[in-house]
Parts: sequence; structure tokens; C-alpha cells
Amino acid sequence: MTRIGLKHIVVAVVAATVLVGARPATAQQTIRVGWTIPAEESKYWMMKRPTEFPSLGKDYNIEWVQFQGTPPMTQAMAAGALDCATQSPLALMQGVTGGGLKAYIVAQHVSEKPGSFSVYWAVKDDSPIKTLADLKGKTMSVNTLGSGILGPLAILLKQQGVDMAKDVKLVEAGFALSEDALRSGRVDSAVMNQPFAARMEAKGGTRKLVSLSEQQPNIVHILEACRADFVDKNPELARMYVRDITAAMKKVLANREETLKVVNEVMKAPIPVLETYLLKENDFARDPGAAPNFPAIQAMLDTFTETGMLPRKIDIKDFRHPTIVAPIQ
Amino acid sequence: MMWLSRLLTPLAPLLACIGLLCVWQAASLALDTGSFPTALEALRAIPDILGDRGSLINILASLRRMAIGLALAVLIAIPLGLLMGRSRNVAAFFNPLLMVIYPVPKAALMPVIMLWLGVGDVSKTLVIFLGVSLPIIYHSFQGARAVEEKMLWSGAAMGMSASRRMLRIVLPAALPEILTGCRTGLVLALITMITSEMIARQSGAGNILFNAMDMAQYDTVFAMILIVGAMGIILDAAFERLRAMLVRWSDAGRAIPLSYS
Repeated sequence: MTRIGLKHIVVAVVAATVLVGARPATAQQTIRVGWTIPAEESKYWMMKRPTEFPSLGKDYNIEWVQFQGTPPMTQAMAAGALDCATQSPLALMQGVTGGGLKAYIVAQHVSEKPGSFSVYWAVKDDSPIKTLADLKGKTMSVNTLGSGILGPLAILLKQQGVDMAKDVKLVEAGFALSEDALRSGRVDSAVMNQPFAARMEAKGGTRKLVSLSEQQPNIVHILEACRADFVDKNPELARMYVRDITAAMKKVLANREETLKVVNEVMKAPIPVLETYLLKENDFARDPGAAPNFPAIQAMLDTFTETGMLPRKIDIKDFRHPTIVAPIQ
Repeated sequence: MMWLSRLLTPLAPLLACIGLLCVWQAASLALDTGSFPTALEALRAIPDILGDRGSLINILASLRRMAIGLALAVLIAIPLGLLMGRSRNVAAFFNPLLMVIYPVPKAALMPVIMLWLGVGDVSKTLVIFLGVSLPIIYHSFQGARAVEEKMLWSGAAMGMSASRRMLRIVLPAALPEILTGCRTGLVLALITMITSEMIARQSGAGNILFNAMDMAQYDTVFAMILIVGAMGIILDAAFERLRAMLVRWSDAGRAIPLSYS
């Protein structure tokens, strides 16, 4: 390559860079969304059946990023690397109190309600543990240390004279490995979530010891939150996204057969496994309009403050946008 | 006995794999736990993964990031290692930095890197680059340091500039050692390729592995481990052929081949 040729290329590259950089500022039309598995069926519909949503792919786009659990998504939102993400109430508020995150709760994925599945701790049928008081000196599995389900558990144990911090040993086994840990005797009581609870119950040999619903009803497990600065700067974009989440939740509930296929495509879990629980009576509850249950979230936050999992009292009203919240039709 | 040895030697890697699978099968049957499938169950899950277009796209996405991370590491780490090997000042400057980075688990850097570079491919490629660079730098450094001074003096006496001495004497002389570092780096690239996808991902082999783990699909988890292991063997064998070709003039016994056949 001649020197002149090289010079021309350099000039062209610099000019192109300047031109690209000098384009007039346009509104953001792509949302960076964090997701995880399981239990976000409305997002899975948007991912795998985008043509079902008229605005998606035309008026706006979504850049999907999968995360391992909700706390890393809180970090990513706090760092500005995500615009919206699935959050547990505790992870979100820890990001707020510890990471300076400002966010709006715009939708809800799954929760508990009377008669629905409630996260529980199981023991073996022949276990001498009959009540929570019998757990003194025993080992319990949890999904993650610091998980939001530990707040209600701490209160339930306290009511029976058991101090969660001193009297029981908590082992981080995750939901998936808990059944194995219980059956092999590595833990005395195992935390259960779907689909693992359905599988374990089908095998038999275990019984329920205590459910979260015994401490408080309507626990919200996962919700959708967006960074406040993103929503304030791009209200139309955020509104389109929440409108599609609302529409997706309707499709989830209206067409179980298709939802099973969608979930199978995302999670690669066999349909017979999903068939045992998904969108059945033994599954979590889903609001038909994906509406966040703010009073229930407030009750959870109060529990977290009471058990020291949050450093201060938080008012859920600060996390509610006046108009951008599901359901949006 | 010689004929038996001649027959068994080329089959040794295959026999080792079969032996491992037999031990795995026996251990799984003995333990009888849901989270540890038998080797046969894991092997049966492999065709499902490799026959699925989405899974193949995921695996290829990981391999693409691995190739970019490895290529960048080779381009940057080899010149740096050679310079460190021939210049006390350069070595004195970079050694402490490398010693600090070396023991840090690269996946542990992911949350921090994510804050700077976002959650896309750049973060993951950087983690792979960091994981791969250090062994390549170290081996290039050792290779360059071992070059006999007399050869460099001869080069200088023949009028070669410092850069030409580096290119024509140090690089070829250090090549066997550099390629040993690259071989270690290749295996580390596979490891960091998976660990870089542990926290956040848009596509990749981690999608299959970690999703299956979350859903307690342990046959898929172990099948993916076998697939990654097989990729390691294939890449290592291919690289060993390349290495043998590039350094035919050197002592072949320096490397550990897959088989002595």
C-alpha cells in the first residue's frame, strides 16, 4: 500500500467517525432489559414471539441480557448498564439503599396469593422435626444467603423462639439442589420452589413444614423495575415496553399451551416437567394485568426493615410512577 | 508384549476416556442421587444439544468470543513477554502488575468490568483476554530470557538492529516456549469462555449450561461439560499439530502430546 493510499484511508476513517459522531441526537429506541429464569413468562413471550407485539421491533427494540439471579441485575441497573430488569423487592431496595439506585416498579411477574403456591421448607416424612421450634441446632437449605425469603422465615422462626442467626445453620444450596440435599441428609429442612416442589411431591417421602404465606400473604417474588432516569428521559419508550408486558401477561394466561412451548424454548426444560406445575393451581399467582401489588410489596419491605435486611424504612410510593405502571392498555 | 504395547499406545487416550466414563457410571449408580446423572444419561443428552440449532448458535457465539480473546492475547502478550525477557526495565515495570493480576480469578472481575464496559461481548472478551494473556506473557518472557547472549552479540556484530534481533533471533528461539504458553492459554480460554458467561449473557454455551443447572436438568449440565471437554481435546490436538509443524527443528519431547503414538 502506498503512503498516499494509507493517508486517504486514515482521513476517510476520521471523517466517517466525525460524521457518525455529529449525527443529530435522536431519542433512544432500544431498551436494555435484564432477565433471568424462571417465572418471567411475559418476557419470554416478547423474546420468542415478537411478532405478537405490534410495537416491538418497529417502534422500539429490546436488547435482552440474561443474568444469573436478580442481584447482578440490580448492580447493572445501578451502573447504568441496564434500563429495565427483573427484580426481587429485596434486591431492588438493597440497590436503592446501598447503591444509590433510583427506580420505578412498572410491572409484576409472579407473587403468592391465597391458594397459590407458596415457597416452603420441607422435611423428610420420618424426620423428628414437627414444628419450627424443633429446628434449633438443625441445618436448613436456602436458595441464596441474603435472599428475600429469609425475612419472613426469620419472623416465623422468631415466633417459635428460634433465632435464625444463632439457632439454625443456613446452607446455600439453591432451589434446584435442595431436594437432593434433603434426601441425602445433608440438610434437615429444604427450601422448595417450583418446579422442584412438584417433582419432589410426586416422588413422595417428604412433608411441608412451613410456608412463607404463614408469615404474610401475597408475597411478591419478582417484579419489573426500570431506572428512574431512563423512564423520565424516555417516557414513551417506557410506556410502550410496559404496554407490551401487560399484553404479554394476557397472552401467558390466555394460551397455556403456547406458553408451555415458549417457556420450553427459553429454558429448555422438557414440556412434561413444565406441565406438572406451570400456570396450574400449584404455581405462583400472576396478575392478569401484570399490576404490581404495592401494598404487599410495602408489607415485605417492612418485614425486611424489621429483620435488619434493609437499613431503613422505605416508602413504596417513591417507586411508583404516576402513569407508567402496568396495566397499560 | 511389544505388539500389545504398540497396539495400546495409540489407543491410550480413548481408553483413558472410557475408563473415566466407567468410573463415573459406577459412582453415579452407587450414589444414586438426582444431581449426579450416569455417564450414559449425559452421553444420551449430547445429540439433543448438538442437534438443536439454537444450542449450536450459542456454542458458536462462545467460541467466537474465545477466538477473539485468544487472538488479542497472542497479539499483545507475545511482544510484551519478549520485551520483558530482553529488557530489565520493562520486566521491572510489568512484573508487579502481572503478579497482582495473576492470582485473581478472572470471573470475579466480571461484575467490575461489567460496570465499565457494559454487559455485552466486550466484557466477556476482556475476561477471556485477561485469563489467556498471563501464561502467554510468562512463557514468552521465559523463552526470550533463555536466548543465548552469544547469538544476540553475533547478530549485533552482523549489523542487525535491536528490533531485527528481536524478530530474527529472539522470536524464533523463544517460539517453542511461546507455543507452550499458547497451548496453556488455549485451555484457559475455554475455561474463561464459560466462566465469563456466569453472571450475564446474551448468547453462549453458558446459556445451555447455567439454565440447565437452574432447572435441575443435570443430564444436560453434564452433557455440556462433556462437550466443552471434547472441544478442549480437539482444540488442543489441533494446536499440537500446528505447534509440531512450527517448531519441527526443536526438541519434540518438550510438549505433552495427547498420545505418544
